[in-house]
Amino acid sequence: MPITSISFIIFLAVIAGIYFVMPAKKRWMVLLAASYIFYLLASPKSFVFLLITTVTTYYGGRQIGKCEERYRKRLSEGEFDRAARKELKAESKKEKKKWMLAVLILNFGILAVMKYFGTYIDMLAELLHADWMHVGSSILIPLGISFYTFQSMSYIIDLYRGKYDPDTSLVRFALFVSWFPLIIQGPISRYDQLALQLYEGHEFDYTRVTRGAQLIMWGFFKKLVIADRVAVLVSTVFDNYKDYSGVYVIAGIVGYSIQLYADFSGGMDISQGVSQIFGIKLIENFERPYFSLNMNEFWRRWHVSLGNWCRDYIFYPISLSKSFSKMTKKARNIFGDRIGKLTPIIIAQTASFVIIGIWHGAQIKYLVYGFYQAFFINIGLIFQPQFKRLAEILRINTDAWSWKLFLMIRTFTLITIGRFFDRGPRFLVAVRMIRAMFVFNPEELFNGGIFTLGMLPRDFQLIAVCLLIWLGVSIAQEKGYVIRDVIGRQNLLFRWFIYLGGFIAIIVFGVYGVGYDANTFIYRTF
Amino acid sequence: MSMREELLEILEDIRPDTDFEGEEALIDDNILESLDIVALVGELNDAFDIEITVDELIPDNFNSVDRLLDMIERLQD
Repeated sequence: MPITSISFIIFLAVIAGIYFVMPAKKRWMVLLAASYIFYLLASPKSFVFLLITTVTTYYGGRQIGKCEERYRKRLSEGEFDRAARKELKAESKKEKKKWMLAVLILNFGILAVMKYFGTYIDMLAELLHADWMHVGSSILIPLGISFYTFQSMSYIIDLYRGKYDPDTSLVRFALFVSWFPLIIQGPISRYDQLALQLYEGHEFDYTRVTRGAQLIMWGFFKKLVIADRVAVLVSTVFDNYKDYSGVYVIAGIVGYSIQLYADFSGGMDISQGVSQIFGIKLIENFERPYFSLNMNEFWRRWHVSLGNWCRDYIFYPISLSKSFSKMTKKARNIFGDRIGKLTPIIIAQTASFVIIGIWHGAQIKYLVYGFYQAFFINIGLIFQPQFKRLAEILRINTDAWSWKLFLMIRTFTLITIGRFFDRGPRFLVAVRMIRAMFVFNPEELFNGGIFTLGMLPRDFQLIAVCLLIWLGVSIAQEKGYVIRDVIGRQNLLFRWFIYLGGFIAIIVFGVYGVGYDANTFIYRTF
Repeated sequence: MSMREELLEILEDIRPDTDFEGEEALIDDNILESLDIVALVGELNDAFDIEITVDELIPDNFNSVDRLLDMIERLQD
């Protein structure tokens, strides 16, 4: 059941109907049933993996909770001096760590085997020229495994860190792991942000429900009208990369930057909107990333939930570890104060981006993708004073809007070139395409050649209008306006003009049918 | 120099353009970014002879000068 289909809308309406007539205390059960039905319909064979993660994480969490209880009890039973207290705490921590590691190894192990094993088998088969070994692609990757695994593992690490107490109901916890709007492509949510909202029975609220429906519609617009239309051009260029160079390759990769953002953020809007209907607020996964002035900022605004995950569970633990603080001191002696202090940050940052890279898949191109991001961010960090000095020497007014626009275009360009390693089928193809991009053939833009990629002039015009609307909305959001509130304050006639206009636009301009694949979201495969 | 003054000096070194006394949401409002936090933790560990572990990295401990002082005192204890 694709979430951009009529059957999904009907499913949603039925679930919402049942939800709001149920007694408040039992409403969460409707959400769990809906989530399991959704998952079973989408990917029945991988359901067992979802259950394994749910049960092992829940059980491990309870054991960590018991360690904490024992520690507190012992502490309350006797008088301990500081040293004894410290020892007791260390003992309890050690015990908790065992449980945490067991759960992490098991679940990340499943993720690694299911997601990466197939690729490695195929790589090996290619190396050995052994055709019979080409079975990798037939290994089933459980739906949403990267998302629900990362979400569940944040729970177990937080418990170890003592951030909150463990959930005491396996059935309720199952809902936290499987909440259907976010199982396919996130946002990767934290237990303390999401779980209580799921368990609480929310009342029907007309305004909230309609706002949720509007957000779903906006998501449909981005996905069906923009992403799926541009996708045709992108596929043409990338599937036949040998035939294209210069402006064609540029059109392909810029198209992909547009498609990916429309596809992923459209999917997020649908997840947000569905959740909002049930009174659940998810974290924002996109904060208008293409307005970023540098790569570091971009990664704070793009796929925020994955970035935050890597920050909290990879970047901080590495950069603040004891061995790293020792290293900082050594590095300060060798490289001086500034670079010495930056050393652990650079290493931890690189590690985080490598994880972000291979989170997408096992191929070498994703590893390169991670290093590519880390390279530019680290360069920006290391040479910050020099860049600042250069701007002073050249008398650049860094507050001028034209300068900021230049920085935005620069960031967009760097990010977009990096996407060759994501969309390109293989690392070497990506390199080949980057080189082909520099062939100078602007005449193709005017001789009609550009219209042979699967998008006619009217498609380009439509996309241009849609992007202008989206840009206008984004600028207003940057200025702090909540668009749905602004529209909600207008008179009835104008309001419905907008709603109906949007609805008709999706029906008329949405891309459906043969040759178009509205069923899949790009991030569904990660 | 009091502990508060020392802390303010460290903070102003990291973010010279911020009036820290008036801020109550250093993390929630993204005034201190992850890179600043790592630098800050290193400085605090050295200056106050404490060990801020990753468990302490919750917004509540870093959102204001008062909250930071609370954490430092607790860890010195």
